[in-house]
Amino acid sequence: MALIPRRDQLPIPPKNARVHNTVCQYCNVGCGYKVYVWPVGEQGGLKPNQNAFGLDLSQAQPPLAGQSYTETMHAITVGKDGRQYNVVIVPAKDSPINRGNYSIRGGTNALTVWSLDRGTQDRLEYPLLRVGDQFQAITWQDALTLMAGVIKGIRDRDGNDDNIAVKCYDHGGSGQGFEDNYGAGKLFFSALSVKHIAIHNRPAYNSEVWGSRERGVHELNYTYEDARLADTIVLWGANTYETATVFYAEHMLPNIQGNTVAEKQEAFDRGEPAEPGYLIVIDPRKTSSYTIAETVAKDRVLLLQPNLGTDYILANAIARVVWERGYYDMAYLEARTDMKLFEEYKQKSLKLQVPYAEFMAQVERITGVPRAQIEKAADWIAKPKAGRFKRRTLTIYEKGIIWNMKNYDQVAAIVQLAVLTHNIGRPGTGCGRQGGHQEGYVRPPAPTPGSIYRGGPPVNVDKFLTDGKGKFYWVIANDPYLSTPNAQVFRKRIHERTEKLTKALGAGGEPGTIQERVKKILDVLYSDPDALFMVVQDIYMTETARDAHLILPAAAWGEANDTSINCNSRLLRLYEKFMDPPGEAKPDWEIFKWVGLRIAELYRAEGKTQEAAKFEFGKNWKTDEDVFLAGAEEFGDNRVGEEDEAKLEPENYKGVTYKFLKEVGQQGIQTPVRRDPKTGKLVGTVRRYTHKFGTPDGKFKWYGTDDWEGYPVEVAKYLEGEKTNQYPFWVTTGRAQTIWQTAYHDRRLPEKSRALPLPYVEVNPQDAKRLGLQSGDLVEVYNEEGNGTFMVYVTDAVKPGMLFLVMYHWRGTSNSLVSGYTDPKTTIPWYKGTRANLRKVAGAIPSVLQTASLLQQNKFD
Amino acid sequence: MTQTLTRRRFVKVTVAATAVFTAGGRAQLWYAPSLTYPAVKVANLGQIRTGQPIGFSYPDASTPAILVKLGRPAIGGVGPGRDIVAFSALCTHMGCPVQYENGRFLCRCHYSMFDPAKAGQTYQGLASSWLPQIPLRIDGKGDIYAVAVAGLIWGRVKNV
Repeated sequence: MALIPRRDQLPIPPKNARVHNTVCQYCNVGCGYKVYVWPVGEQGGLKPNQNAFGLDLSQAQPPLAGQSYTETMHAITVGKDGRQYNVVIVPAKDSPINRGNYSIRGGTNALTVWSLDRGTQDRLEYPLLRVGDQFQAITWQDALTLMAGVIKGIRDRDGNDDNIAVKCYDHGGSGQGFEDNYGAGKLFFSALSVKHIAIHNRPAYNSEVWGSRERGVHELNYTYEDARLADTIVLWGANTYETATVFYAEHMLPNIQGNTVAEKQEAFDRGEPAEPGYLIVIDPRKTSSYTIAETVAKDRVLLLQPNLGTDYILANAIARVVWERGYYDMAYLEARTDMKLFEEYKQKSLKLQVPYAEFMAQVERITGVPRAQIEKAADWIAKPKAGRFKRRTLTIYEKGIIWNMKNYDQVAAIVQLAVLTHNIGRPGTGCGRQGGHQEGYVRPPAPTPGSIYRGGPPVNVDKFLTDGKGKFYWVIANDPYLSTPNAQVFRKRIHERTEKLTKALGAGGEPGTIQERVKKILDVLYSDPDALFMVVQDIYMTETARDAHLILPAAAWGEANDTSINCNSRLLRLYEKFMDPPGEAKPDWEIFKWVGLRIAELYRAEGKTQEAAKFEFGKNWKTDEDVFLAGAEEFGDNRVGEEDEAKLEPENYKGVTYKFLKEVGQQGIQTPVRRDPKTGKLVGTVRRYTHKFGTPDGKFKWYGTDDWEGYPVEVAKYLEGEKTNQYPFWVTTGRAQTIWQTAYHDRRLPEKSRALPLPYVEVNPQDAKRLGLQSGDLVEVYNEEGNGTFMVYVTDAVKPGMLFLVMYHWRGTSNSLVSGYTDPKTTIPWYKGTRANLRKVAGAIPSVLQTASLLQQNKFD
Repeated sequence: MTQTLTRRRFVKVTVAATAVFTAGGRAQLWYAPSLTYPAVKVANLGQIRTGQPIGFSYPDASTPAILVKLGRPAIGGVGPGRDIVAFSALCTHMGCPVQYENGRFLCRCHYSMFDPAKAGQTYQGLASSWLPQIPLRIDGKGDIYAVAVAGLIWGRVKNV
């Protein structure tokens, strides 16, 4: 009777099950998990000494304190030996991050493993070659010959790598961490010199937070305990309950509920007041992160809903209130910040030359946020506590700021507010991003060192490709057909360009051998400059892969050892391999290694030994750890004292080995790791910038933000004349709790695909009433960039006149409607703001209405 | 070409399927109901009012469950309006009690919410497993019986 397959008993891991430590493959929080693997057919017993949990399973587990082992935490996979194995993945109780807690994403880790019982069985198992309109199986040997032949052919003709375009992840966790990132870095930056490279979720190779880094503040500077200790938490463009769920539920919520007061008394100075925490949410939407807190502590939550794009004006206004009310410590500012640059900040950001009342009136007009709310926020962020103790405020921002218009100024304004109020480097403070995924970045230097102020901006590779430039496009573990801005135009152009090559290859008969195919591909690429050869390396057939000429199967989480850090503590842990990859799938680093070695063979055959040697970077990489240790050599010397931690790269792990990580297990070690100059021991960094900032002189570098200049032309066009009425809605976009990014796994799990079968649009009740819409109706949302069919959710999460589109859904991505604008200072897109209209489509899809819940997601009272 | 499933052939197919179930990996994918559940009377049709939940214990005396008439058709709903459903009252996330309020089940430990009309699906929150639904049967007198549990009750490896 059940809608989806349900279970009413689960197999018990026997005493002799293999046990592995790992960390969730999904979000920035990086919850710890334990994995148990044993052959199907065997089972443990109910007594503690009969099962690998060591628990008395004859009794029900106690709520909260007990071990969660639910239906979604077991699967059966097949090993390389052809035998079936049970895989159980449960939240780790010994992880300081989640303490046994877990989210709807991590709770399904087991369901994502390759299994013949589930939709995950359609993992890519061997390389696929496009022949006309079909994908045919080919061997790795042929696939590598093809890759190497085309890459070298392009280099031979061009004398450089400018026609090679790459889109590759740079993160940890699911994509996998330091090992794979180092493999990519060595191939693309040391062997090849690729400058047309973009990161998984954006059109260029850049930091999303140069506005903070160029001030001397790396974006991961706080530790998870700070969310328990803060007097005030600010969530700025970060819906933590839905995108860093356990961080919110396990650490922020207890603070707001007043359950961490004893921890505060312990950590604070003598005599300093310690009270239940306050929460400020700054977001155009009334998010669940706000409404939950409102349910538990109405008087200690504040919601500011600025107009789209105006957050930096709001941040500067809060800073101005701080200045007017004297909520700053001049001795701190003088000792720790560049006071020459501070003058520029006072003039351009705080605008001290404009009288306060006039300034605030302007800000109210631009942001739409009432002055009283701005002043209240300033009090909650920085007003000293009784006894003149400095308030402790933790500010966490994410894509609402990063993917805002004017990325650089938005980020800079927020971190400057935090430094002005000394809310960085103390327990209970910090100012950084929440993170989307985990991190694990180690590579040779990137092509672009920084923003427009530091040698940038980086090249927009989307534009490079849609303009008809480049000949080879290699997409690695991301799906730009769903994720890139202005995605509809991008899809159309890449399809057109790849199809030109496909058709030309078929003209006069498909090439019969791989060598002939290499030759013909090169002939076509150099006779039709618009033709494009595309390779996709991934774990599933993605939307982008449908247009690829070659598809390479990669190993997923748990199918190789890897190391990553989480975002809220920079906690480095070993994610142990617990099962084999399906078929011939390989870890990404190994694919990069083999491509390199095959190119090297071609150079050696021509006697070009020096060039060949550059491509043999991976010849001694036999294990995952070999790559991890090789990567460590990129970092600077970490034999420094605690007061010099700011000089270290944020992810420096020099000296750490897999053996060390196995010993520390879920406790991990917080990067940057130092080797204590006296003892030589490895020491983690709990929180950053207590002593110095990350600049040559250790001082924070102020920056004067731009004035309000209105909206960029790509969006301003919708605000002129008749178009204001044609496209009457503001549109913002974002993620939903239930699914992860492009839902590459989730779309294959009935628990998720039945719940969110279609992309959805949130519509305010007033607008819905006016337009005769109700939840479950299907609408087309459209503008001049693109369109999509969305299911309506009527909710007060959006204000009247605003729509929210869930991003990256496989049945239609919000990004089809997003403009091609990027911040001229950083090349970061504005994914979260445009204009559109909607119209109800005729008819309905009753089967979808029958299974998808239409209940309001932000209503908890 | 279509084949008619004769009774004899059906028996053969069933026997073969059972053999695979016990011998192969699927032996450890116990799709509910894989256990024997008691039939327990919860209420009579005449007693229940729309939106007013009735607590009961199922499948044993120590396990809370909730029956409710939703006033809107539900997957697995019984009664004239196909709107009477019952669910385990332990959140599948970490075992806290769920309450039926404002047309849905809500857990106040971490704010997971489940839709009773849509098979107990988690439409918000942390619970990766949907709330276990308790199939109901109504006899000729209008007595409503709980007859099984579709889904694993939190904190156990086996429902009964």
